[in-house]
Amino acid sequence: MLVPGARTGALRARALPAQPRGGIGGVFGDPPERLAVATTTTAAALPHAGAHAEPRGLAAWLTTVDHKRIGLLYGVTAFVFFLVGGVEALLIRLQLAFPDGRVVSAERFNELFTMHGTTMVFLALMPLSAAFFNYLVPLQIGARDVAFPRLNAFSYWVFLLGGLFINSGFLYGAAPHAGWFGYATLTEKPFSIGPHTDLWLVGLLLLGTSTLISGLNFLITILNLRAPGMSFLRMPMFTWTTVVTSLLIILAFPPLTVALILLLFDRFFGTSFYLPAGGGSPVLWQHLFWIFGHPEVYILILPAMGIVSEVIPTFARKPLFGYVAMVYATALIGFFGFGVWAHHMFAVGLGPIADSAFSLASMIIAVPTGIKIFNWLSTAWGGALRLRTSLCFAFGFIAMFTIGGLSGIMHASPPVDLQQTDSYFVVAHLHYVLFGGTVLGLFAGIYYWWPKMTGRMLDERLGQLHFWLMLLGMNLTFFPMHFLGLMGMPRRIYTYPAGLGWETWNLVATAGAATIGLSILVFLGNALRSAARGPAAPADPWDGRTLEWAIPSPPPAYNFATVPTVLRRDALWLTKHPDARGPGLADAAALVSGREPIHMPPPSAWPILTASAMLVLSVGALVHEVVVGLGAALTIAGVFAIALEHLPARAVPAGGHEAIHIGTTGLDHRKMAMWAFLGSECLFFGTLISTYLVYKGRSLSGPTTHEILNIPLTSFSTFDLLMSSLTMVLAVAAIQRGDTRATQRWLLATVLLGLVFLGGQVYEFNQFLGEGLGLTTNLFGSTFYVLVGFHGAHVSVGVLWLATLWHLTRRGRIGPGQAVLVDIAGLYWHFVDVVWIAIFTLIYLIQ
Amino acid sequence: MRRLRWWRLAPLGLLVAVALTGCGLASPATTLAPKSDFGRLSHGIFLEILWWDVGIFAVVAIVLLIAIARFRERDPASLPRQVRGNARLELAWTIAPVIVLTFIAFPTVSTVFRTQAAPTGDALRVRVVGHQWWWEFEYPDLGITTATDLHLPAGQPVMLELTSPDVIHSFWVPQLGGKRDTPPGQVNRILLTATAPGAYPGQCAEFCGLSHANMRHTAVVQPAGEFQAWAARQKTPAAEPAEGSPAAKGRDLFRASACVGCHTIRGVSGGGLGPDLTHVGSRRTIAGGMLPNTPAELARWLRDPPAVKPGSLMPNLHLSEAEVTALVAYLTSLK
Repeated sequence: MLVPGARTGALRARALPAQPRGGIGGVFGDPPERLAVATTTTAAALPHAGAHAEPRGLAAWLTTVDHKRIGLLYGVTAFVFFLVGGVEALLIRLQLAFPDGRVVSAERFNELFTMHGTTMVFLALMPLSAAFFNYLVPLQIGARDVAFPRLNAFSYWVFLLGGLFINSGFLYGAAPHAGWFGYATLTEKPFSIGPHTDLWLVGLLLLGTSTLISGLNFLITILNLRAPGMSFLRMPMFTWTTVVTSLLIILAFPPLTVALILLLFDRFFGTSFYLPAGGGSPVLWQHLFWIFGHPEVYILILPAMGIVSEVIPTFARKPLFGYVAMVYATALIGFFGFGVWAHHMFAVGLGPIADSAFSLASMIIAVPTGIKIFNWLSTAWGGALRLRTSLCFAFGFIAMFTIGGLSGIMHASPPVDLQQTDSYFVVAHLHYVLFGGTVLGLFAGIYYWWPKMTGRMLDERLGQLHFWLMLLGMNLTFFPMHFLGLMGMPRRIYTYPAGLGWETWNLVATAGAATIGLSILVFLGNALRSAARGPAAPADPWDGRTLEWAIPSPPPAYNFATVPTVLRRDALWLTKHPDARGPGLADAAALVSGREPIHMPPPSAWPILTASAMLVLSVGALVHEVVVGLGAALTIAGVFAIALEHLPARAVPAGGHEAIHIGTTGLDHRKMAMWAFLGSECLFFGTLISTYLVYKGRSLSGPTTHEILNIPLTSFSTFDLLMSSLTMVLAVAAIQRGDTRATQRWLLATVLLGLVFLGGQVYEFNQFLGEGLGLTTNLFGSTFYVLVGFHGAHVSVGVLWLATLWHLTRRGRIGPGQAVLVDIAGLYWHFVDVVWIAIFTLIYLIQ
Repeated sequence: MRRLRWWRLAPLGLLVAVALTGCGLASPATTLAPKSDFGRLSHGIFLEILWWDVGIFAVVAIVLLIAIARFRERDPASLPRQVRGNARLELAWTIAPVIVLTFIAFPTVSTVFRTQAAPTGDALRVRVVGHQWWWEFEYPDLGITTATDLHLPAGQPVMLELTSPDVIHSFWVPQLGGKRDTPPGQVNRILLTATAPGAYPGQCAEFCGLSHANMRHTAVVQPAGEFQAWAARQKTPAAEPAEGSPAAKGRDLFRASACVGCHTIRGVSGGGLGPDLTHVGSRRTIAGGMLPNTPAELARWLRDPPAVKPGSLMPNLHLSEAEVTALVAYLTSLK
């Protein structure tokens, strides 16, 4: 507890300094009562404002929950990882510059390309997008922070520690070496000995946790923290792409988590999920990985598309062409993204029907993508273009991404794909999408928002040099890779002999990579120069359209002194340019000021401490069970600390402290987050149940379903769990009508019923073990124990949670004013029960 | 920036020009000169999509360049017309891709079904087994097992049955058509008819571990008669060296050493982990296609396999120079 007063639970406001330079009032002098941002707000006007001891220096950064600081942390960290991934790429290109290269050994090379892919996807591009989400989304929607500031900090620290963890292998010669896609059986024990793959899979589980929590946080932030009047179709495009990206994260990461968990069981506990010798199939890994992996491509590209959709209208000085179509195209790309995973698997042999279906589905994605490209072009067409560096990168994005998209059509056609997949042609394709698309798009965003984030301008001439070097470099690097692929050069080879005609283009590609490296140096020089002596940035250097340009650069901690009310799309633009309003709107202001107290969350040390505990847990997986136990205990303690940190010492009345969690939709953030989390959980259990069904009847030996399942016992357990849902409903009803005694009674009853269920499970597992069905006996045993075990773990978490609520209600810390806390736990509990009904039906009843 | 500096785009234009003319794309592993029915079908669709792609990119690039050239800000005080959209245009570029994609989808789906059809009765079956890191070719109907060189008759349908006992590899001879993976526990198929005799190099296309880069092979397509002659020779037992010759010394050494644990030489040994060596002397390459099959390279290989091929499952047997010479003499005699 670093901040005095925090224990009172009151979220603390900070004393407001007089507004620094900027603010739209300063720009065009509307009457004060109609300003988006009041220019003078004094501390005295605000409740809770007072002098609090603010952590300073390093401590301030370690405990920050400010979305802008976290955004900067994400940005800097991800950029450092981007440089690391870039150095890995340069080493790869050096090795391949000439035939029979001897720069690195085969072993190092395999580690380099594995970590290049893993780093760029999980540690550089996704977190760079997260940096923009963090910094900008709250500003664009007129919010003061994200819905869950401490979880936001937690996501960042888990990302940082996970990134260090997964890279630590380089220090002891055990970096991951089986490809970023980790295809079984190469990742299995017989073929990947040592900690390489363990490091990779545990690291990805850590990073997945971080990403999932971010996804939930941003979805709820956008749904629930929009300024008054900011309806969905008034949101900036970047915010829209964040919504779709967050949804993709929430739904796509669970299959990856399950895939990794099954691999973990194979490697650590001897199951055979992906091993044919035990009846498993390495193709299952590919399905699970690409069900995640293809949406992941959109997770990487959509934020860049959002950035470009902001940059082009600003510098063309006209609105985004076909805004509504762009919104639908974004949503459709996200939606179709879940139905095309098997186009990564045309060479696997899925049969002509699956090949054709996935081929057609993949082609359909070209339609919304084409809409986007032509709408961007139309936005520029007829505009008054200001060719700033940011716009150059955005135009570069359009051209390069189009090349990547068009070659993608080839990979949607299986006969063509069979020639190109796993060849350098695909390397060219994916880099035109992820470098030409994502990286150029992110640089457009960096040049665009740098002044807002740092308060200083970047140099235009250096920026232009950076752009042209990077554009030239990427085309020199990646365009020849098309040729190499067509000339039969496969991916992921550490060496190649002379005489296949590959020498020239490999050398050209290496020269291109060096050019990209040079362009990055120019950027770093520009960034350092700006930091050292860049001119100060005004609030609105580009004549921007979205709300972040209405406040100073960099924004104050509280963002908006008064929250604006948004009456139109592009409200700031219309407010600044009345002549742009069009007929009928000429006299209507697009932005008006609201007035309300400022609540700012206090800093917290628990996010970084809990993230560190998770690191201990992960290290334990590689070291010793005792460390795992310690890490797990510390993680649980950290979760409790975060949960209880802001819980008042005494129950609070309705409408008081809890009201700050009610947002734009009129719903509680936490309840919405629970719904979104349960959506994610549906995918998690859906994937586990699918695995069970796929492997049903494929056990090679040992007891299976009908020989072993005890229907009467499980029927009783099911009845018991259903009853616990009833008692849960009664507990929620009791606290809502203010009867705390009944609340305690029904919570306790639910806990006891949950314990009875768990007892039944322990008994059942013991029976099975006695009858010779262990985890590794056969596929039935493996799928059964993992599925039912994870459900049991969820029940255990629920029991712990409800027992805590029961305890807190008894101690008088939770009262009717906080009924929502019981309500949320109830949602979780009902979900766990519903999952059990699915398991009971599919495993026990339908044999 | 007052006007577009078009010359800065010149390198890209040059690259595209090179691609379109096909200069600098000659390779014995090229996908652009198919030598089988399967390859030709894929190549046709590739060319169709390529031309659509070039056309669409040209439209996008030209519109973008014209926009950059024409629509610069001239008067900061006046705004351009604030156009928010155009339903008719937007509908047009929603429908146009659908039409283009239809043109691509029809040949795609029909080719998918054609190339994955059931084999005809006269197809020559070849079991293709991917090992870490070499290819094994077994002709069940001919009773032949060989490695690294895949001999095929020209003009006769061939059914390749792909599998692997260890990890996923991918069999690919670019000139003969697309690749297929070998997921362990599954048998995949490629049906093709090679049309022109020749030696077409290929290599494993799915990352399969340390020496993935060193898992190469050659498809040797021969006129039917030549293929028959080759098959007849391969069916014969291993050549018996003349007693007292260096090769005989090598054979005795082979018999007495660890070699027999992994390698088969029909009539001599029956190991199953490494390639069948009955006719190793007749092959073009050794060590999974990594080295030309010359006495000097064979000697280098025998001295220390893992030093030549990282991760090689064949260990360094610490042979003396005399032993290496004897083994080389024997193995090269196995024509």
